[in-house]
Amino acid sequence: MTGLPDIGPAPPDDAARDRAERDDLLAAWETPSGFRRLSAVNNSLIGRWYLGTAFGFFLFAGVLALMIRTQLAVPDNSFLSMELYNQVFTLHGTAMMFLFAIPIFEAVAILILPEMLGARDLPFPRLSAFGFWCFVIGGTFVCGSIFFGAAPNGGWFMYAPLSSDTDQTGIGTDIWLLGLSFIEVASIAAAIELIVGVLKCRPPGMRINLMPLYCWYVLVVAGMILFAFPPLIAGDLLLEMERAFDWAFFDADRGGDPLLWQHLFWIFGHPEVYIIFLPSIALIATMLPALARTRIVGHSWIVLSAIGVAFLSFGLWVHHMFTTGLPNISLGFFSAASEAVAIPTGIQIFCLLATVLVGRATASVPLLFAGGALAIFVFGGLTGVMVAVVPFDFQAHDSHFVVAHLHYTLIGGMLFPIFAAVYYWHPFVTGRMLSPRLGRWAFWLIFAGFNITFLPMHWTGVLGMPRRVWTYAEEMGWGALNMTSTIGAYILATGVAIMVFDVVRPRRFKAPAGVDPWKAPTLEWLREGPGHPWGIRSVPVITTRYPLWQQPGLFEEVTRGKWFLADASGGHREMIVTDILDARPMFVQRVPGPGWVTILSAAFLGAVFILATWHLWTAAVLCGGGFLATVLWWLWTGTGGVPPTPERDCGRGLILPLYASGNGSVGWWAMFITMIGDTTAFAGLVFAYAFFWTVHPAFPPPGSEPPGLPTAALAALSLSVAWLLMTVAQGANRAGRGSLSRWALAIVPLAAAAGVASLVLAAGAVGLDPTRHAYDATVWVLILWIGVHVAVGVIMDLYCLARLMAGRMDASHDAELRNSVLYWNFLLVQALVTIAVIGLFPLVSGGIR
Amino acid sequence: MTYPRIIDDGSVWIVIMPPVIWAGHFLAAYWIAAVWCARGMGVLAPAAWAILALTLIALAAIGWIARIATVRYEGLLRHEASIADDRERSRERFLGHVALLLCALNAVAVIFTAAPSLVFGQC
Repeated sequence: MTGLPDIGPAPPDDAARDRAERDDLLAAWETPSGFRRLSAVNNSLIGRWYLGTAFGFFLFAGVLALMIRTQLAVPDNSFLSMELYNQVFTLHGTAMMFLFAIPIFEAVAILILPEMLGARDLPFPRLSAFGFWCFVIGGTFVCGSIFFGAAPNGGWFMYAPLSSDTDQTGIGTDIWLLGLSFIEVASIAAAIELIVGVLKCRPPGMRINLMPLYCWYVLVVAGMILFAFPPLIAGDLLLEMERAFDWAFFDADRGGDPLLWQHLFWIFGHPEVYIIFLPSIALIATMLPALARTRIVGHSWIVLSAIGVAFLSFGLWVHHMFTTGLPNISLGFFSAASEAVAIPTGIQIFCLLATVLVGRATASVPLLFAGGALAIFVFGGLTGVMVAVVPFDFQAHDSHFVVAHLHYTLIGGMLFPIFAAVYYWHPFVTGRMLSPRLGRWAFWLIFAGFNITFLPMHWTGVLGMPRRVWTYAEEMGWGALNMTSTIGAYILATGVAIMVFDVVRPRRFKAPAGVDPWKAPTLEWLREGPGHPWGIRSVPVITTRYPLWQQPGLFEEVTRGKWFLADASGGHREMIVTDILDARPMFVQRVPGPGWVTILSAAFLGAVFILATWHLWTAAVLCGGGFLATVLWWLWTGTGGVPPTPERDCGRGLILPLYASGNGSVGWWAMFITMIGDTTAFAGLVFAYAFFWTVHPAFPPPGSEPPGLPTAALAALSLSVAWLLMTVAQGANRAGRGSLSRWALAIVPLAAAAGVASLVLAAGAVGLDPTRHAYDATVWVLILWIGVHVAVGVIMDLYCLARLMAGRMDASHDAELRNSVLYWNFLLVQALVTIAVIGLFPLVSGGIR
Repeated sequence: MTYPRIIDDGSVWIVIMPPVIWAGHFLAAYWIAAVWCARGMGVLAPAAWAILALTLIALAAIGWIARIATVRYEGLLRHEASIADDRERSRERFLGHVALLLCALNAVAVIFTAAPSLVFGQC
């Protein structure tokens, strides 16, 4: 039935075997103690740290929110200076969005996803740790700036030309751009890890139609991150190049256009709203079956909605730009898409409500928060349908109505589900229950406080109060509404404080939870709990959607070690990798344990971004070298290599290989997914070129000569040769012709260097100057992009050469080489597109006249 | 052991195609209108006709995928419980069902996108 080979009988109960296996597992998975604990990489610990840090930033941003509300409580208030107020509201939005809402998705997923998949960890534990440390460093850098009066002050969407003018906005904007770019790296790293986790690390037998809804959402949302974040990274690159080196992208006098920033920001910014909302709905969809004692209603309808929302959300970005003077018909398209997205969103809500109705729900704190979430989110969704109507938006734009709307969607769609999840999964993490009594107090205070704060804001907005104003005159008549909002904010904060108290108070005051307090159907409740760092005792075969309900005896079989990988002989951390559709076991992946290299490389990368903020280029380049060195050390010592034995007996007759390369391996998929994201960022730069072409009467503009075609063609040829040599090296290595392979790899840097040199020459020979006009700047930024990518490609090439010479790769163990060739495939496409855009496009179009 | 190929054996492509068709149609409509209006062409009719023609093509393509999805799902309106079994056929039916629902959603979304072209006479 499962498509698995014959499974042998379960081993008999044997206390001595069980003890020995547990000792082995502990030896492999033990968390280091003392200060070495910081070097841990296991998902259960990293997930907890991630969660705690994200909540820390949430509380920090919450205090900023209270400062905003205090300042606005009465007319003509001077509690905060105007400058500090600008910094406070910018940092409130920035921290809530980038340091709480998105990371909390990753934190929760890192914590519960492996356990829900019956895996012992995610496929790249050190990448999780690296991402976490990037997040800590970047978040502290951005938030800490306010204590030096240097926080960003241009609003959380940092519109040009205010943000591109270094006289108007100071160092805070650079901190925002570089600090957040750094954190985005961490988000993308987590997204890659989660996608590979869902696709390749499911337990044997868990076909794609049996996968829990949470995994579907994680897959969809991580995919969205991959397409949404890169345009912002491209935008950050352009804006920082303008601020640091005066390249002309957003300066209208030099052919730039501030609207380009709005496009790039909101191509990220609107999907981001759904990146925040969907994982939280996923939490509700995961909790509801347990809380309502029934299967979810409309499983495939929810999957449809998740996928549908993911796509449609990319067609909404211009609804943030309805008042920028775009043609009415364009606004019409985006208005239509904004209305259409309400359909799949509504389907999810109805499925969840139907589940509660057909089940036998009993009152519990998570259910209270889930109910509050749906009520508030539906209200915010309805005002969303209102502002999606263009004429209404013209009236409400940039007023407090929008502030009210966005808080209803985000707090209803994200915060309440997260709070529900805190109550639901607290026993999973700590083995203790939170207090239902305090929980009810917290819920009603938060629910009431929220509505008292934000409901009146709709009226404040309709009465004409713009968002982000520092203060207002008494005769405007907004005083009473604002005072109400402020009182509500403090009530909300009281509720949060009660919840925080409940979570942090000592363990001994909390009731023990037992193994599975909610009688839940999902696999994470099979974990052995605190003190058992290996997670699941043995990896079972899954044949149903609700395994703990529908597979009787599963709990005993798993916890008595009767399934696969019950031991950890040799002290290796291991997990089973399965195929994407049917989860048939493919091989056993050994994952690395604790290491300082992740913290070191995150620190070096952080230093690069932080030093670049102050234009300390030499130090930044040195730290960049340090980052490169630590990453190479990490890869060399922690990944790949020829395993001592080719196979591993997983128990019950399942014997699996210990090595995989190419598209069976997790590394290949990680590279593939990374390059999809990378190519999206590249597409953002090409979009900038196309955008400038549409807004200029002639592009290239008069006075600018496009790069010469012969030199550009030479660049295309050289880079194609470099790519071909990589491919030849891979084929020769596979065929056992090692010396041909090594020779091919050795020549790659020459061809690659010739390619980049020709590109630079092509633009330099015609005198393109990036500070002169947006055209010149766009051509140069494309060349810069390709140049950096070729440099990375050459490093990969030399790394493979070194691995071959060191005997760590051979004809049948060639994962690194195949991953590098995959990288070069994407690089070749990007290079050829660049050359077509800068070399060929100007020949066929002189621009719109 | 052999593994089913994700794209063709797995029917994953019929799940991905309907939203991709919507996205392609949406971007095409946006670009046609943006470039047309940037050229200073006041009257929208030719651009609108082009968008409506694209709409018909997009709807036809979604309809074709819906047909395939119906075959995989073995019907249009069946109870879904039998797609949660541990069988290859159930997995195919499940993905067929999701694809079918996505076809419906994206057909509506494509019609939504086309609607402004019927209404606006000018940029």
